[in-house]
Formats: sequence, structure tokens, C-alpha cells
Amino acid sequence: MAWQPVIQARLTRDGTCHRRQWFRYLGGAALAGGVLGWSDFLSLHAAELKKRNRQCILLWMQGGPSQFETWDPKPGHRNGGPTEAISTRVPGVKLAEHLPQLAKQMHRLGVIRSVTSREGSHPRATSLMHTGYLPTPTVKYPSLGAVVAEQLPNPQCELPPFVQVGRSGPNITGSGFLGVDYSPFSVPQAGQMPENARITTSAARFRRRLELMDQLEEDFAREEARQLVQAHRKLYRKTARMILSEQMRAFDLSQEPQSVQQAYGQGQFARGCLLARRLIEHGVPFVEVILNGWDTHADNFSRTPQLCRQIDRPFAALVEDLDQRGLLENTLVIWMGEFGRTPRINPRSGRDHWPRAFSVALAGAGIRGGTVIGSTDAGGFAVEDRPVGVADLFRTFCKALRIDADHEYMTPIGRPIKIVDGGEAVEELFA
Amino acid sequence: MQPRSIPQMTGTVLALALLAGGLQQPLRAAKPDPAQVAQAVDQQLAQELPQYAASRAGRCDDVTFCRRVSLDVAGQLPTVEQLGLFALDPGSHKRQELVRQLLATPEYGRRWGRYWRDVIFYRSNDVRALRAAAALEDFMADRLNRNQPWDRIVTEILTATGVIHLEGATGLVMAQLGEPEPVAAEVSRIFLGIQIQCAQCHDHPTDRWKREQFHHLAAFFPRARVRPVATAGGRSFMVFSMDQPRRLRGRRVRLEHFMPDLDNPQARGKLMQPKFFLTGQSLPVGATDQERRQALARWITSKQNPWFAKALVNRMWHELVGRGFYEPVDDMGPDREAVAPKTLELLAQAFIDADYDLKWLVETICLTEAYQQAVRNAPPEQEVPFARGCPTRLRSDELLTSLLQVLQVDLQPIRSRGRRFNGLAAARRRFQLIFGFDPSTSQEEIEGSIPQALFLMNSSITRAMTARSGSMLERLLREYPDDAQAVEELYLRCLARRPRESEKRKALAYIRRVGNRTEAFEDLLWVLINSTEFLYRR
Repeated sequence: MAWQPVIQARLTRDGTCHRRQWFRYLGGAALAGGVLGWSDFLSLHAAELKKRNRQCILLWMQGGPSQFETWDPKPGHRNGGPTEAISTRVPGVKLAEHLPQLAKQMHRLGVIRSVTSREGSHPRATSLMHTGYLPTPTVKYPSLGAVVAEQLPNPQCELPPFVQVGRSGPNITGSGFLGVDYSPFSVPQAGQMPENARITTSAARFRRRLELMDQLEEDFAREEARQLVQAHRKLYRKTARMILSEQMRAFDLSQEPQSVQQAYGQGQFARGCLLARRLIEHGVPFVEVILNGWDTHADNFSRTPQLCRQIDRPFAALVEDLDQRGLLENTLVIWMGEFGRTPRINPRSGRDHWPRAFSVALAGAGIRGGTVIGSTDAGGFAVEDRPVGVADLFRTFCKALRIDADHEYMTPIGRPIKIVDGGEAVEELFA
Repeated sequence: MQPRSIPQMTGTVLALALLAGGLQQPLRAAKPDPAQVAQAVDQQLAQELPQYAASRAGRCDDVTFCRRVSLDVAGQLPTVEQLGLFALDPGSHKRQELVRQLLATPEYGRRWGRYWRDVIFYRSNDVRALRAAAALEDFMADRLNRNQPWDRIVTEILTATGVIHLEGATGLVMAQLGEPEPVAAEVSRIFLGIQIQCAQCHDHPTDRWKREQFHHLAAFFPRARVRPVATAGGRSFMVFSMDQPRRLRGRRVRLEHFMPDLDNPQARGKLMQPKFFLTGQSLPVGATDQERRQALARWITSKQNPWFAKALVNRMWHELVGRGFYEPVDDMGPDREAVAPKTLELLAQAFIDADYDLKWLVETICLTEAYQQAVRNAPPEQEVPFARGCPTRLRSDELLTSLLQVLQVDLQPIRSRGRRFNGLAAARRRFQLIFGFDPSTSQEEIEGSIPQALFLMNSSITRAMTARSGSMLERLLREYPDDAQAVEELYLRCLARRPRESEKRKALAYIRRVGNRTEAFEDLLWVLINSTEFLYRR
């Protein structure tokens, strides 16, 4: 039973707040009814969970992670380096030795070992793998997060619909032509409140200021710029609602029991994964958690295992936690970077950029656990079986999220752009 | 890839351009008179747009004009003193004089240098390219303040070589990392207002441009390349003329441009000759980089090419008036429809007759009645273009300057140990990450975001909004013990206008209700800075 653990988890913690949130998920009719039996309440909640839009977590491995040290080890081949393969919970499926916890979660994961692209430059490939399109100076394509935020809104959620955790520096993967409503809301450090999200006065004085603003803008609105004032007022209401909302507690990881924090492990990325789960629980449609540092041109065999240690436990804990709370059914988790790394090991014990054949891992939202799609040849140079192009991959995301991949957006210069151009979903991934 | 040593700079191009300019000067005929051209523009608008004359909002008042033109021309708010002097000045040419004064300040070049920096770098997809942004801004600011004609600035940009942080004109090629196709697309978009790159992969569905024409344009740039260099100040990049085959970023780069074969992407594709799609002028395959880029610069900036002048005039009109003849500003071309096309032609021709004089153009536009219209609400069904003033959202630089001016604080530099690190520029960039937008965007597409609201509501600048000792507000409250006067003064400083009577009444009622003068005025300052009006030039 998927929903039961959710209820338990919610009941064991301070009930009042969470029960109020439940009511938010329920339709107005149920609330209007007034008296609601406990069992009705539970079944309604489960039905509501099923009805809810799907959600998505992207674990983004900036720099291009090595497939050989993660999902597609080649022990015994020269290109495999010293990396060993280990058995997983799924008979016959082996992963690199650096992912022992994920190996135990293999029955919840789908791995594609045959992703192939032609883009080997970091910024261009980062755009490609976020938007499904190669970047151009003239059309700014929206990233998957913005598309999900736009396509799968959650009116009950008072938090921004696309939250990005751990990005430092300028964002090249924003909402593009979809506009600021869907642009990523950045949380540089998981565990800290978002920048400027704490009011500097009492809530009463803050509200008083907003009221004064409404009054003082009346004349400017009436005489000069009604639409601008209305848009501004709407934005300020939305922002004020957000920062005064109880849902802001989603950003506060100290509310999690020690045992849960421990399950996710140590480090920024672990905190990012825990934050992602909390945001998903609060109804945020899309959360991206970024881990930098995968560009291992040198010392790949010490750096990549270290990076794997940063993802192995948190990613595994995330999938298990989501499943236990009944959220995995409706949440797609994607693990990927902009490309893979070269089969040949360079003289600095590093691996360079290799978009021709690399791996992507998925979980949840109808992805059949334990599935491995495609394969690479013995040396990992090329896809041997079942190539999956970038468009195929994005079609697969859309299918899992129940988004119409053929939906057309109109750009500001009047060009129709499909969410995904061409490609076919990887049907074998779905149960 | 390891940085290579730096070869000799090519300064000849610049020297020749300056020499040519020096010789040209005495031959120039007198420029058209800005006031007369402005009048002709307004008459043409009235002829072209039915209802225009009848639905005009009328001229804005003096203080509104003063704030508007200060922000538009020099990127900053007028001081309370400047506002007062301007309002009291009885002269009949005072608006024209104010525009000229502002054009003579160095802030003019800075404001528009930042504008062009954003035009170019908002379309860059590579963070490494941003290292060229500061130099491009400096380059533009310098040329604009010296009032270099537009054709000469564009020629410098199109033909530039050199280390990116020394030769700012290399910015456009650097922004696209010297890749011929995006460079060609950007040159056409920015300098001609034509989006020919849609024909990159297929013949354009609605425009006349053929795929081949785009790739003929890209064939002007296969040798304008970017590579890393070591300089005295650390690693950098340079734009250079690659007239010998070589490897760049790990791949072999060809000296000619080939149009990819869509059915067979692995094949070499079709060899393209450099050929300018608007005129058909061409160069033979094998021409050097400088031959190609110089020729293209000549053909693009030619007075016989109407799109060059029109693209710039449309862009400047959009930026100043708030609405372009074509929208978005960089999507013009023969298959698009303009609002009042004859007015645009008239102004573009006058700009050509003025030898592409940019200050002349700013002055002329600012003198039109279209520019000076008051901002008024209008029901959308009655909307007549240019009949009312269009509020425009402040670009991040102008907003930041306004905040610093109003609160009388300095920008705090970001500290870092990096070499060549400019803490002030970094602070500006951080602000821009929140408030910046692509300046080629139509005004109606520009929206506020949650991080912007959060910044103005709660960021560290709110500390400067308090009445603690030494702050602007503390001094103002001391100087004006009378509440009504203090409210007036605060409005003048923040919004560069006096409060309406009703606003003053509401503010005073609020102060009475709160019962704590300091607290009430802190709230008022917070409200004015967070208000819609503060974020717009109106």
C-alpha cells in the first residue's frame, strides 16, 4: 500500500500543521462538508495523491560523470581501469563498486546505458540536456524544469514551482521564452533559507507596509499604468504569501528527525536530496539538485569514487524515502550529466568528454525498477544496442510525467516550438 | 588545451579607421536639424496612423520629462536640485538643452555601453565569453562618448582581433566563441534586424530567406576564431584571423564554411562562398579573414543598405519611446510589418544624412512629441501606437544607480583574491543576475520576478532604508521637522516628482496612525522603493 506510510510518517510528527496541509490538498467540497470521518479522510487523501500532477527531481551531475565508474563498469577491459563491478539487488545487473547503496536500490531504478549525443562542449551540452535542444542565440529554449512548472502547476503550492539547489554563478538553463514565472528559484545552499526570504520587520509591520503600498499606488494605477500596477501587486502578493507561508518550513532541514538526516548521509548533495524530498512533499513540481565537479580530465580514479560517495547514499535514501512515503509513484527522479567520459584513459589518469555513449538513471513515475536499457560495446566506445538519443530521452521524461511532448509553444518571434522535437519514448522502461 | 603565447596586436585596422575619419570630417555637409526632423517625424506619424492626433495624451510635464530623459540618456535619476532648476527655467528650448547637456556627460556613454553589452551578451551561451563583457562595455562607452558614427563602431566590431579583455570590439565574436554560424546570426540580428538564422536548418517557412543565404553569410566568418592565450594578467582568450589551418579546442577547424548536408550530417557538406544576402555581393573562396570581414562591414554599413540604419533607429526608438516600429526590435526584415513604416523610413534616412551620428539620433528622438507623451491609461481597444507614453522597465544598471542615488550609499564591492577581479563590477553583476533582462525583449514581455521582489523587500539594502544614524532618511527627517514637507521631499528623491494631494493625505494619515514618526517614514521609504513607479521610467 503506497499511501499508508505517508499517513504514519505524518502522524508521528507534529500533527496540526500537517493536517492543515492535508486539507489544502483536499477539494473545497470535502471541506465544505464539515464533518469528515477518519477513514473517508484517508481514502480521500489517497485519491487526491493519485490525482495530483506528477512531479520531478533532477539530480544534475555538472561536468559530465564517468559512466565507467557508475552505471556501466567494464571490469577486465583496458578501458575499465581499476573499477570493479558489484552485484545488485536485481540478479544479473551489475554496477560499479562505487555505488553500493544504489546497488541495493536497483529494484527501484531504471538505467539507460545507451544514451548518445554529439555535443561535447560543457555549456552547449548542458543546455542540450536541460532543454532537449541545442542552444541558439536567437531562441531561448526553456529547460525541463520550466516546462514541468508550466505544464504541471500545483495551485495549492505557495512555493516557487521550479527550485534549483546548489547552483553557483549565472544560470544558463532557465525558463527561456516561458518567462519569469517559471524560472528557477535558486537555493545556493540546501539547509539555509533562500536569499532575502526572511522579512526584516514583524509580520504585522510587513503587512502594514504592503497595505500602504496598495493605497499609495491607487492614483498612479488609475491615471497612468493600471496594468503594470496590477502585475506588480500580483507579484508582491505572491511573494508575500510565499515568505509568510508555513510551507517555507520545507526549506528548514532541521525539522527532519535525526534518523532521516542520517539516512541521507553527509554533505551538501545529501542535504540537497533531503530538501528535494521535502519540497516534493510540499507540492513543488520540479526540483533540481546540482553536484559540481565531474569534469575529471585528471585523476579520474580518485576523484570519481569520491564524487560517487557524495551521491550514493543520498540518492539511494531519496528513492527509498520517496517510495516509503508513497511519493515515488508520482515523482520522476532523473540522474544525469551533460555527457559521459572517454573510454580511453588519458596520460593524466583522466577521462575526457564523450557524448557518444553514456548512461542516465531514472526512478519513479511508472519507471519499471530493475530495468537496464541498451548496452555499449566491450570497450565502451559506442552504443551496441538500443541507442537512445536526447529527444528519445526527453520523450521518455514526458511520458513518465504525463506531459504531451508534442505540445507547441509560440516563441516571441512567432515560431512554434514543440516541447520535444522528434524522438520516441523508451517504452520498455515502463511497467 | 594549454594557453599559447600572445602574438603582436593588430592595431592597424583601428589606426586606418581613425585616419579615414579625420580626412572625412571637412567634407561633411551640414547635418539635418534635430528639431526640424523631430517635427517631420511627428507629422508623418499623424499622417500614417489614423486617430493618432485625436487620441494623443499630450506632452508630459517638466519634472516627468526631466526624470525620463535623465534615465534614458544618462541612466540615472535627476537630483532634487536639478529637478527644481529645470522646472523653474523659463527658457523655451530647455528640453533640448537638457538633452544636449546629458549627452555631453560621460554617463551617456556608460549607460549605452552597458546597454550594448547586454544586447550582445544576453545571447551568449557560454560563461567563459562573459569575460569579454566589461571590455566591450568600456569600448562602447568610449566610442559613444566620443560620438563615433555608428558605421565606424560596427566596422570595428565586425573586423576586431585581439585579446578579449584589451580589445573590447572583439566582444561579439567572443560572445559566440568564434563559431561562424552563431556569429553570422548575431550580426544579422543586431545590425540588420533580420533573423536569417531561422533558415539555418531549413528554408524559412514565412520569410524569403533560403538556407543557402544564411550559410553564405556564415562564410564570412570561418576564419574569425577564438583561442586561449596567456597574458601578463593571467589566462584569457583572443579573437584572431585564422588564415592557416589549425586545431582549436581539440578539433580541426576548416578555413572555409560548409553547409551541412541534412541527410548526411557526418559528411563535409557544401562549400559556401562568402556572399551577402541583401545585395548579392560576394568574395571568392580563399579570401583572408580580414578581406572577408572588412568587405562584409563595408556592405552592411553602406548608405545604400536601408536595413542598417533602420535596425538601429528602430532599436533606439524602442529603447527611448518604449515601443518599436517593429517588435521585437530584432525581428524586422522585408516580410515583417511595421507600425508606421514611413515614419521609420523618414527617420532612418535622416540618420543616414546625419552620417550615422548617434548623439544626433538620441537628441532628435527625444525632441519628438511621440517621445514626450504623458503616460496615460487607455482601454486596449482604443490603443493607438505612440499616442501615449509607454513606461519602460529600468534596466538593472539604472535601477541599481537609482537605488544608490536615493539611499545615498555606495555599492559594496565583492571581495575576492582573484587577479583582475573587479569587486564593484562583480557586485553589479550579482545585482544583474536578479534584475537583468535581455534588452531586445519587448516591454510587454518583461515581468518582475520573486527574487526581485524579495531583494527589494528584504535584502541588505533595506538597512539603508532605516532611519539609523547617518542614513539619508535620518538626515532628511532632521532637516524637515514638518511631516508634510518631509513627505514631499521623500517623493522628490525617490520618484522625482511631488506627491499628489491625495497621496500626501494618505501618507500623513498613515504617519498619524502609526504614531511613531521614524517608523512611519521608514515604512514610507520602503513603500516608495518597492513601488511600481520606482521600477519604471515613465
